[in-house]
Formats: sequence, C-alpha cells, structure tokens
Amino acid sequence: MLLRRVAGYSLLAIALVLSGCQSDTEPRALVFAIAQAPVNLDPRYATDAASERVNHLLYQRLVEFDSASHEVPGLASWQMQDALHYRFQLQRPLAVFHDGKPLTAADVKATYESLLQLKNSPHTAEFKHIKQISTPDSHTIDFELSRPDPHFPARLIIGILPAELITAGHDFGHAPVGSGPFKLNCWDSELELVRLSDGLKVSFNEVKDPNVRVLKLKRGEADLIQGDLPPELVKYLQKQPDITVQTVAGANYSYLGLNVQAEFLRDVRVRRAIAYAIDTQAIIDKVMVSHSRQANAILPPEHYAGNPALQPYSYQPELARQLLQSAGIKLPLTLVYKTSTDPQRVRLATILQAQMQAAGIDLQIKSLDWGTFFADVQKGNFQLSGLTWVGIKTPEIYSKVFGSGSAPPQGFNRGGYRDAELDTLLKNEDWPAVTRRIHEQLPYIPLWYEGQFAAYRSSVEAYQPMPDGNWDGLAKVVFQPSDE
Amino acid sequence: MIKRLTSLLPVIIGVLCLTFALLHMVPGDPVDVMLGESASPADRELLKVQLGLDQSLYMQFGQYVSNILKGDFGVSIHTQTPITQLLAQAYPATLILAFTALSIGLLIGIPLGIWSALKAGHWQDVMVTMVSIRLAAMPAFWLGPVLMLVFAVWLGWLPVSGMSSPASIILPAVTLGLGLSAILTRMTRTSLLEVLNEDYIRTARAKGLSERQVLLKHALRAALLPLVTIVGLQMGSLLAGAVITETIFSWNGIGRLLVDSIEKRDYPVTQACVLVIALSYVLINQATDLAYRWLDPRTRGAR
Repeated sequence: MLLRRVAGYSLLAIALVLSGCQSDTEPRALVFAIAQAPVNLDPRYATDAASERVNHLLYQRLVEFDSASHEVPGLASWQMQDALHYRFQLQRPLAVFHDGKPLTAADVKATYESLLQLKNSPHTAEFKHIKQISTPDSHTIDFELSRPDPHFPARLIIGILPAELITAGHDFGHAPVGSGPFKLNCWDSELELVRLSDGLKVSFNEVKDPNVRVLKLKRGEADLIQGDLPPELVKYLQKQPDITVQTVAGANYSYLGLNVQAEFLRDVRVRRAIAYAIDTQAIIDKVMVSHSRQANAILPPEHYAGNPALQPYSYQPELARQLLQSAGIKLPLTLVYKTSTDPQRVRLATILQAQMQAAGIDLQIKSLDWGTFFADVQKGNFQLSGLTWVGIKTPEIYSKVFGSGSAPPQGFNRGGYRDAELDTLLKNEDWPAVTRRIHEQLPYIPLWYEGQFAAYRSSVEAYQPMPDGNWDGLAKVVFQPSDE
Repeated sequence: MIKRLTSLLPVIIGVLCLTFALLHMVPGDPVDVMLGESASPADRELLKVQLGLDQSLYMQFGQYVSNILKGDFGVSIHTQTPITQLLAQAYPATLILAFTALSIGLLIGIPLGIWSALKAGHWQDVMVTMVSIRLAAMPAFWLGPVLMLVFAVWLGWLPVSGMSSPASIILPAVTLGLGLSAILTRMTRTSLLEVLNEDYIRTARAKGLSERQVLLKHALRAALLPLVTIVGLQMGSLLAGAVITETIFSWNGIGRLLVDSIEKRDYPVTQACVLVIALSYVLINQATDLAYRWLDPRTRGAR
C-alpha cells in the first residue's frame, strides 16, 4: 500500500519535472543535440557562441558577410557619405517581424539607441562613437559618428528588434521576436524554434557529454550534432552506416598566446624556438578532425585580408635548441602552459609537452576551470595559454590583439606585445605586411583552423556545416522523420 | 524538536558565511564575464554599482542575508531568471532522482546482503562479494555511458539521456543505485553476520523458532540499524546533486545547476545552490537521528 502510494507520488513528481514543447499530434521536431544551451536570446546581450548562433536564425541584421568575409548588404545596403556619416537603406520589400509588423528604419534606430543606453551589455562599448541616429524616412537610417571608423558597417551585426517592444521593455532574452527565418516556438526545458517557411520545428537539446551526444545520435534521440567532438568519436561516426558525417574547412583560429612581458619570452628567438618545437602537421594528422589545416594568421588565407604567402614553421627541434642556446638559455627551459579542463585541450597540451621536450623545453601544464583560466589570461597572468578565436570577420582584430594601445580593456592584447613597426603597418591597414610582421615576431604561435563537421541521421538531408561553426544550415535543412 | 531545529541555525549561518567568503576569494569576476574585456572602466563601475558589487563585503553579505530571509535569492547574473525559479525546476528533479536511486540501492543491496550473510563462506557469498566490490569501484562517468550503450543503443529499451519521458529516469537512477547497492550489500552482510553470532539469537534458536522467524523477528531489526546511518549519509550526497550523473544524463538537477553557475561565476546562483544543498544535508542528518531513536529504544533516553 505504502509502496504504491510512494510510486504514485513519484510518477506525479516526474510528470511535473518532465515538461517539454512536444505535442503528440504534430510532426516531431528535428532534435539538434548541442554541447551548450544558449543563455540569452537578446542580441544586445548575447556573447556565448550558442546564443549568437541561435540569434542568427531568429533575427536579421543590417550587414552580412560573404565567403571572403567582405561586408555585404543584409537588411540594408549602405553608402559612406563622408568619414563620419553612413547612410543605410533598407532592402525592399521590407522584412517582417514574427509578430507581423514590418521592419522599418525606426526599429533599426530603436535597436541601436537602446543598445547604447544599456549599462550591462558587452556590446555597448563597440558603438560608443555613434553620435546620432536619424531616420529621414521609413527606409533610411543615417548614422553620425564622433570619429572616423572605416569598419563601421562590419559592426552592425546586432539583430534588429521591434521598436514597439523595446519601448515596452519586452524580455527578448527569453521571448525573442525578430525577423529571421525561425521564430521561437517554446522554451521550457529545451529551446524549440519553428521555421516560418514550412513549419519545421527544431529542438535544441543540451547534452554536455560528447560520448552521450554520439550515443543519442546513434539511438535516434538526436537527429543532428555539430562540432565539439574529439576526433576519435568523429571517426567512429564516419564508420556508422546510418549516419552521415560532413566536414568542411574551418576558419576558427587556434593559437598559443605568449606573454611577451614574461621572462625569456621577450626574446623573439625564444618565441621562434617554441614555434619550431611544435609539429603542428603531425597533430592535425593524428588527433584532429579532417579538414583541419595549419594556420599562419588569425584570418585564413581565403579571407580578403588573409595572406596565402606565409609559410608555416616546420618541426625542427634541433633548430629550436640552437635558437634557445643562442638566446643564452640554459636547457631545459621551463615554461608554464595554462589551458582549460576541456579533455581535448588537455590532450593537445600533453602532445605539445612531448614534442617540446625534444627541443629542450620543459612544458608544465596547468589545466584550470574555465572561469579561473580565462580570468588569468585576461589579467596577463600566464606564460603560454591555448585559446581559439571564433567567428572573426574583420582585420581590425589585428590591432585589437597586437596593437600597442590595445591592452585590456582597450583591446585584447593580453600578452603585452608592443611593436612600433607593427603599429605603423596597422595604421596603414597594410594587411599583407601586418600578417608578415606578426608571423616573424610571433606574439602568438599559430596552430590550426580546426575542421568543422556535422553528423546526422538519414532523416536529415541538405545540412551544410559552416566554416565558423554557425547553425545557418538549419535554414535550408530538409527533415523527413521515419516512423521509428 | 524545536531545540533540534534551533540547533540548525549556527550551521546555516556558517554555510552562508563560508560560501560568501569562498566565492569572493575565487579568481574571476562576474562583471568581466558579463561585459567582456573591452568594456570601459566607467561601464564596469556602473555595472558594479548596479549589481551591488561596489559595496563593502559586509554590506553585500548583509543585503544577501536579509534578502534570503525574505525568500528572495535574487536573479541569475547571466540569464536574469529569478533563482527561486531555477531552484524550483532543479530541486524536484534531484529529489526524484535521489529517491529512485536510493530505492534501487535498497531493493538490491539489502536482499543481496542478507543472502550473502546467510551463505557466508559459500560460493554464493564469494560471488556477491566479488560483484559488489566491483560495482562499488565503478565510477559513474564510466558506468553511465556503458549502461547507455547497452540498454539504449544496443537493446533500444531505454532513452539515452534527457528528461523527455518517465523511462528517462531509469538509467541515471540505476547508475547511482548500483554503486549504492554495493555499499549496502557489504554493510548488511557484515552487520547481519555480527548479529547472528549474538547470544540472543542462539537463545531464539534454542526456543525452537524457525530459522525464518529468527532472521525476520530478531536478527534483521538489529542488523539493519547501522544501515540507517549509511543510508542517511548517502541520501545526503545524492541530494547534494550527483553532479557527474546529472551531467552525463542531461538531468537538470541541482548538481548540474551548481557546476554551471560556478563555471560562469554566477555568484547568486552558486550561493543559493550551496545553501539549499547544505540545508538538505542537515535536515537529512536530523531525520536520520530521529529514525535511529525510533528504531532503537536504547537511544531514546540519550541526549
């Protein structure tokens, strides 16, 4: 009797805990298993990769990028009227918000003005030089700047929100309203979007453990996964008959950040020695996803500011030793490498450690939880650190990362690199020379652009992974669930 | 009873002070996390004021405690969701998982332990001992995926992970419950063997009681007493959120909420989670104590 009652309560409680968006009558949603759920779907706040990727499905923005990362019209085309004035004209016919209202110049103005007034948004700082936004008519938006900014259009990638809802203080973070190809269906325990063109539902299912993501795909609980898997799991998936794996060359740049203010690392010979002490190609061949490739600069060679002429540093441990000795260093040289606790990162660290040993470098690995690790990196409290730049589109990154005046909070020059010659080249925006100089001076040791991949079941067709790992492929995906 | 509850107060105050102090000593700053590196010092200051992080630690602590007394844990720095809502979602999930795992542990552990004790020295006993030691040694991060592979992927009986159907609870609960059952098997066996050697058992047998009556009426009650403590302690750690199991099985419990909040330096969420976990621990301990008194008449008079 008691047991039965307990069981009854348990079932009731389970029913309360288990709440989802799915109803039995409609066709089921495409389940996309992701490593990290989005946090905040207000484009004025979102910074984490998952939120930004979902936001690109929910909202439209003024400017987009082509495959060479040139800015191209999104919602609007533009003209630079003078150094301080940009005029944007919305494309016709006007886009329509999910609530049925047209997206006009007033919405663009309201979005950017509200962003400027926010006190706790990480994006506000980037628009501080907007002096005034005016809308001569419902299709035209004029931006007046307080200082010249040739890269201004490339910044206008914040999703446009309806002015009316902004005024009403709507919670876009949890109830997004945009004009993108998808709109929010519901967001209980999982986020579910619905595609406007045909009603296809996509459910974003957070599954942190990579093994479990693979098992869910194999079992049919997930239809699609993308990225964030160790290569052996990708290889396992490639052997499965019911699963398709698509890979594409990536554009996200992984590197070793050097603190050039640290002892020894000030000397460019030591930095070069480290570059010669790493066998990047061997790592790519053995422990990385296919389509990964050696990197020489933050922006890949196909980018309009990329530099295909740069040659990678090859693995020459003997030369590395000589360089270290010529710098007057008694071997072995002990260096501390900080990284996160991500298993693939830790594994790569141990490989680097083994490779560098042959060059007389004793690499000590410190694997720290993300919060601690990133705080250390931002404060310059490291000798070597391993990170990846994700989704970088504009060459402005070079001055933000290596410019003498870009120490945090002005930029991301966390390693304290100062180089007058590079500053001049940056000022002239001479990108081939900039990338060459950085490649010679090595404030970063370039590693690779990791290949991107997606794996999906036979119910999914025409999904295309993107070089920066975004989820835009969902806009075109075809989904035909079989009766499982 | 009231005396018991008042004795909880210092523990709770201690927990509040400790989590508050520890979190503020950990490197990493919520303002950095929210605004990124490129924010101007002025914006940084402004946000600090908004979050109350500009005030002295004493003031922040005072504010925090007074809010909690009003039942307000604040909002998550990251998602702006009220923390009470987050807890209301996560805690029941953890409770259900913990009770199911405990039931599995008890249902397997106690019968096996009894059987093992009754067959002490025989091959059955050796086998149970071998199996339970191996089970106790299996970490959740290994056992979980193996169970998934077998029961979800190969056999297709159960969902891999998530919380989409009532069957979803089986694998995480079994992962936790098997480890627990191994401990309970060992404890039951040892304890029962001890009791079976007592004089009063010999007396009971001499009275002509059947072996079944001896076991059920006399031996078991005494033998299971030490188990109450173990079960209490284990329940405490289950309620503290079986972090690894919850993460592997995408079970949105309090352990997962806690670890997520620590990674993101979401101070208010971490504090609330630790407080709730500590409270559960203390309450379970008190309940264990009460159960012990109820079961064992000898301890009733003791203070």
